[in-house]
Amino acid sequence: MIDLYGKRFIFFGLSILIFIAGIIGYFVHGGFNLDIQFEGGAIVSLQMEDNKFDTEKAASEVSKAINKKVSAQKSEMTNPTTKEKIHMLVLNVAEKSQNLSSQEVSKTLDAIKKNFKVKKDTQPEIRNVSAFIGQELLGNAMKAAAIVCILIILYLWFRFRTMSGPSAGVFGVVGLLHDAAVMIAVYTIFNIPVNESFIAAILTILGYSMCDTIIIYDRIRENTKLMRKVPIAELVNKSIIQTLGRSINTVLTVLISIATVYGFAAYYDIASVKEFTFPLLVGIASGCYSSIFIASPLWVMWKQYKAKQPTVSNA
Amino acid sequence: MRGKDAVKFFTVVAVIAILTFLAFNPKGTEIPNIGTIPSAYDIRQAADLKGGIDAVLAPKDKDGKTYAAKTEELKQAKSVIEHRLDAKGVMDRVVAVDQVKKRITVQIPLKKGTTIEDPGSTIDDLGKMALLTFREIDETKSATGPVVPVSGDPILEGKNVKSAKYQQNPQTGGHDVALVLDSEGTKKFAEATARLINKRIGIYMDEMLLSAPNVRVAITNGECVIEGQDSLEDAVRLAQDIQSGAMPFKLVAESTSSISPILGSNALSVGVTSGIVAFLLVCLFMLLFYRLPGILACVALLGHTVIQILFISWFNITMSLPGIAGLILSIGMGVDANVIIFERVKEELRNGKTLRSAIDLGFKRAFSAVLDSNITTLISAVVLLYFGTGPIKSFAYTLIVGVILNFLTAVTASRIMLKSVAGMNIAKHRWLYGVKGVKEQND
Repeated sequence: MIDLYGKRFIFFGLSILIFIAGIIGYFVHGGFNLDIQFEGGAIVSLQMEDNKFDTEKAASEVSKAINKKVSAQKSEMTNPTTKEKIHMLVLNVAEKSQNLSSQEVSKTLDAIKKNFKVKKDTQPEIRNVSAFIGQELLGNAMKAAAIVCILIILYLWFRFRTMSGPSAGVFGVVGLLHDAAVMIAVYTIFNIPVNESFIAAILTILGYSMCDTIIIYDRIRENTKLMRKVPIAELVNKSIIQTLGRSINTVLTVLISIATVYGFAAYYDIASVKEFTFPLLVGIASGCYSSIFIASPLWVMWKQYKAKQPTVSNA
Repeated sequence: MRGKDAVKFFTVVAVIAILTFLAFNPKGTEIPNIGTIPSAYDIRQAADLKGGIDAVLAPKDKDGKTYAAKTEELKQAKSVIEHRLDAKGVMDRVVAVDQVKKRITVQIPLKKGTTIEDPGSTIDDLGKMALLTFREIDETKSATGPVVPVSGDPILEGKNVKSAKYQQNPQTGGHDVALVLDSEGTKKFAEATARLINKRIGIYMDEMLLSAPNVRVAITNGECVIEGQDSLEDAVRLAQDIQSGAMPFKLVAESTSSISPILGSNALSVGVTSGIVAFLLVCLFMLLFYRLPGILACVALLGHTVIQILFISWFNITMSLPGIAGLILSIGMGVDANVIIFERVKEELRNGKTLRSAIDLGFKRAFSAVLDSNITTLISAVVLLYFGTGPIKSFAYTLIVGVILNFLTAVTASRIMLKSVAGMNIAKHRWLYGVKGVKEQND
C-alpha cells in the first residue's frame, strides 16, 4: 500500500506553491480584476446609425484606448414623437472614482467613431454608477461563509464524535478554506474578472468540497471500530486508499459536466461562462485533493501531537 | 423479476417518464381544475440571454417636483427595490445608484409575454414607487365622497416607517398591522397622536387612501398597531403596501430602453447543447464504471434533472447563463450519492457477499456518508438563502432542491430499481456490477 501520509509534506508544499503563485499574481496584476459590478463606474450610451455593430469589438477598442475594463451592449429606444427606433451602443466602464475625465470621454468617442458609424451630432450620455454589488452583498457573503464554517464544524463534531469530533470538524473546514484559497489564487494568477460569478463559484465550492472529506471521515469512523489496535496514521492511510475509488469517481462525474460546459464556452468564446467554469474546475479538483492530501494528514498530525501531550490521557 | 418488484420498478420509471414529459412539453401541461404546469419553455430568461429593460428612475417629491435625495435615501430606495425583486424571483438584475446625478438605474429581464416595445408588466415588477404618507383627515368634509379629503402637511412619510408587519391580536384574534417608526417619525407621530385623539389618520399611497385608523391614545414609543382589518389577506396586503411604500420618495421612470442580450443570440442554444452533452457523458461514465446500476442511476439522474427544471419554471426563477452552468454542475453532482453507494456495493461483492446482500449492505453502509455529505451541503445552501440577495438567493434555491433530489433519487429511486432488477436471473451476472473473479461466499 502506498504511504500517502509519509509523503504529506510534498503535498503541503504543492499547495503552498499555488498560494505563492497566487500572491505573485496579485501583485503582478495590481490587485483583483474588479468588474464594474464591484467597483462602480460609468455607463456611456452613444446613438448609432444602425444596429449592425460588433459589441465585442467596441468593448476591446475602448478598453485599449482608455486602459480600463469595458463591456458593451446594444440598446434600443423608441423616439416618443417620431416613433423611430434609436440604436445605441452602451459601454460599461469600470472605474473606482465612478467618474470619467473629459479626456477619457473624448478618447472613448474617438475610438468608437474610428471603427463604427456613430450618429452625427450626438453627445454621449454618461451615467455614473456605484458598485452594483455593494459592500452589503459582499459582507453578507462573507458572513454566510463564516457561519457555514461554524455550522459544519458543529455538525461534524456531532456526527464524528467517535473520532474526536471537534478536531475532525476543524480540519474539514481547513480543507474548505484551502480550496477557497486555491480558487482565489486562480483568479489572481489568470487575472479573471471578479464579479457575481466569483461569489457563486466560491460558494459552490464551499458547499461541495466537504463531500470528499466526509467520504474519508466516514470510512475512518467505520475503521476505528473494526481496527482498534492499528496506529492512527496507518488507519487513516488505509481509509483513504479504500475510499480512493469513490473519491475520484464522485469528482470525475462533476468534472465531466463542468468541463463540457467549459469546452462549449471556449469553442463559442463565451467569456462569462469560461470565467465562471474555469475556477470551478480548479476548485472541484482542489476539493478532492485537499481532503486526501491536506485535511486528513493534518488531522493525523494533530492527533499524534495530542497523544504526545502528557496531560491528555486518551491513549 | 417477481410481480411485486416489477410493479415497483415500472412505477418509478413511469413517474420519471411523466415528469420528463411535463418538463419538456412546449406549451406547458394543463390540468383541469388545477392550472397549467409550466415547462422548461416557460422559464424566464435572464437579461444576459434574452435582453431586458433598462430604466432610469428619478426621485420626485409628493408634488412631482425633483427631489434632492441624499445618498442614504438613494441607498434605501435601492434596497427596497432589490427586496421587491427578490420577492418576485427576479434574481438576475442590476440596481445601481448614480450618486452624481441622483438617479437609480434598474435593469431587469423581460417577462414572458412582454416585448421591448411593450414592457408593461415587466416594469410592474418594480412595484409601486408612489410616496407613502400619513395625513390628518379633515373630518368636516368627509361626508362628501368615498375618498376622504386631507388637511395640512403629512404627519409621516414613507421614509419614517422602519417596518410594517402583519400580526394577530393575541386577545381578540383580530388581524392587525404593527408599525415601527424611526426616531424622527416617533417624535412627529407622538405630537400628532396626542393632538388627534379620537380622530382619524389617513394612510395614503399618493392620493389613494389605504387605511384610516382611529387614534385611541398618544403613541410616544414609535411602535403602533393598526387594529381590526377585515381579513388576514387585507391585513397582510396593507402591511406589504406600507412596507414597500417605505420608499423615501416617489420614483418616476425618466427613460426606459431595451438592452440586447450581452451574450448574443446563440448563447442559450450553446448552454442547452452543453447540458445535453454533459448529461450523456455522465451517463456514459456511469455505464462504463458501474454497468447495470450505472444505467439505473442515469434514469434516476434524468428524474433529478427534470424535477429541477420544473422547479425553476414553477417558481419563476430567472435563468441566466451562469444559472444554466449551475444546473449542469448539479447533473454532475446528482450521481454523487449513487457513486458512493455503488462503490460500496462493489466492495461488498469483492468481499464475497451475495448479490442481494451486497446491494442491501452497500446501501446501508454508504448511507451515513451520503447523509453527512448532503447535510453539510444543505447547511451552506440554507445559510446562503438566509443571507443572500439576488443571484446568491437563486443559486441557493437551486442548490437546496438539488441536494434534496440527490438524496431522494439515489437513496430511493435507484434503490427500488436496483433491487427489483437484481431479482432477475439475467441480472445476476457479477460482470454487470463491475466485479469479476471473486467467488461468492455463503452469507
